[in-house]
Amino acid sequence: MSGFFAVYRREMLSLWVTPLAWVLLVVFLLLQGTIFYSIVVHFTSLADLAVETGPVEAYFGQESVFLLMTLLLICPALTMRTFAEERRSGTIETLLTAPVTPSAVVLGKYAAVLSTYLVMWAPTSLYVVVLRHTGAVDWHAVGSSYFGLFGIGAAYLALGTLMSSLSKSQLIALLLAIFAEFGLFVLGVGEYVFEPGLMRDLCAHVSMASQMEEMSRGIIDLRRIVFDGSLAGASLFVTARVVDSWRWG
Amino acid sequence: MIEARNLTKDYGSVVAVKDVSFTVGAGEVVGFLGPNGAGKTTTLRMLAGFLGATAGSVTIAGFDVATASLEARARLGYMPEAAPLYPELRVREYLAFRAALKRVPRRERKAAVARSLEQAAVEDVAETPIAQLSKGYRQRVALADALVSNPPLLILDEPTAGLDPNQIVEVRSLVRELGKSHTILLSTHILPEVEAVCDRALVIARGRLVAEGTLAELKARQRSRESVIGAHGEPASLEATLRGVPGVQRVRAKSTRDERGTVELTLEIAEDAEPDRTVERAVAALVAAGAGVRSVGPVRASLEAVFAELTQGDAERKDGA
Repeated sequence: MSGFFAVYRREMLSLWVTPLAWVLLVVFLLLQGTIFYSIVVHFTSLADLAVETGPVEAYFGQESVFLLMTLLLICPALTMRTFAEERRSGTIETLLTAPVTPSAVVLGKYAAVLSTYLVMWAPTSLYVVVLRHTGAVDWHAVGSSYFGLFGIGAAYLALGTLMSSLSKSQLIALLLAIFAEFGLFVLGVGEYVFEPGLMRDLCAHVSMASQMEEMSRGIIDLRRIVFDGSLAGASLFVTARVVDSWRWG
Repeated sequence: MIEARNLTKDYGSVVAVKDVSFTVGAGEVVGFLGPNGAGKTTTLRMLAGFLGATAGSVTIAGFDVATASLEARARLGYMPEAAPLYPELRVREYLAFRAALKRVPRRERKAAVARSLEQAAVEDVAETPIAQLSKGYRQRVALADALVSNPPLLILDEPTAGLDPNQIVEVRSLVRELGKSHTILLSTHILPEVEAVCDRALVIARGRLVAEGTLAELKARQRSRESVIGAHGEPASLEATLRGVPGVQRVRAKSTRDERGTVELTLEIAEDAEPDRTVERAVAALVAAGAGVRSVGPVRASLEAVFAELTQGDAERKDGA
């Protein structure tokens, strides 16, 4: 894994000294803030205070469709430059002629976008801290919610990294990633479309919204972890093969 | 240091490099010479491990580029053609990244970066973002990158491309200096560059190695000789006078005169003529015609003529086949 840390540090530096990460962070927090604010306002307007869940669970759970929509925008934008930009500018040539393995390059870049993703989520923990004063917060459920978001991010970002390796254009990489991730999201909606049966089970299995709904209630299902993990693992494996294949182009 | 055997690269039906074999010994400075599009960059990329060869093999310092790729790459500093860099980084940040990537131990990195900054003469821009650097500086930052891990072998793809004359002189003297402690293979399509810095040259044309040897050996391949005469007068009439001299095969006059009005005339001497006698006759003819002869250069084979013969001769043979 020689070169992993060097690639990781360079990638983090490039992400945060250019406006991209900051712009995405601002957009992301604006969207999350708006969503969360709306949910809280909605809950305060409820006359019946005997509802089962609070705003935090709603934010991560039943209403997670809003939150996932922001991820469909943010994740592809985070990953679009990883390989596309290196190939367009030609720096891939210096990178791959250094004594590094393709997997170290792929994992270094992936770890950097994943870290950035986590940094973006960090300020949202304040929402929970703020609400702590208004009622009991189920910290266990909050923890599993963030774990679910980590899993979804891990899968989306790996998929986006793969898409970035397929094109020299950041724009194409962005669009490919949006198509792939949106496709996955839409497949999940199939849970509410199909009759009970194989298709419905399949859609429920890949549904990011159902994953968040479960995890917001503190349920961590191993199948969800396996799905996120294998999607991320398979994407990264293919990306490393793609990077290696450029030698034969 | 480099051993290339039967290197071939084809892109589908297009053969970019065909059956190229050569060796570069430790301590040599070798020029890789060829017209644009001859396959220089493709060959160097195969040596650096960026492209895989369709057939043939390369070893760098005894390590096969295909099977012991990391070991081979750890021993070479490669500078690609366009000197690609990350514009958002500062020069020092970039070199520190490259040093880490090239396995320079953490404790030695700072010193390695400082040394390469000094060697490539880019210390004054160490804290400047690369995006703000001129082409000349970028080229030298890329060179500093190749040097940062102090590899025994440097492969430089057109290190002087796109530089102004002063910068070219600087880079050449830098390469000469580096040649004392490194093995260097540098590609170029500019002949004086090879004459200025290299011990030996490999000539490639249309993807095939057409000649190899020391500069003296290459010049000896050319049987026709030439001499440069500087004279004062009307270029057209000077040329006409020289054409009439027995033994003169061709005359080329530079269309521009220098500040003293001297016209530079290049005399190509026929193969069967005695060179020194021909030049004497040419000077006599110029004087008789009333032209002022100001300088007479030594009779020699020019590398340009060799180059032209090698690369174009090859094309003609190919077209004829």
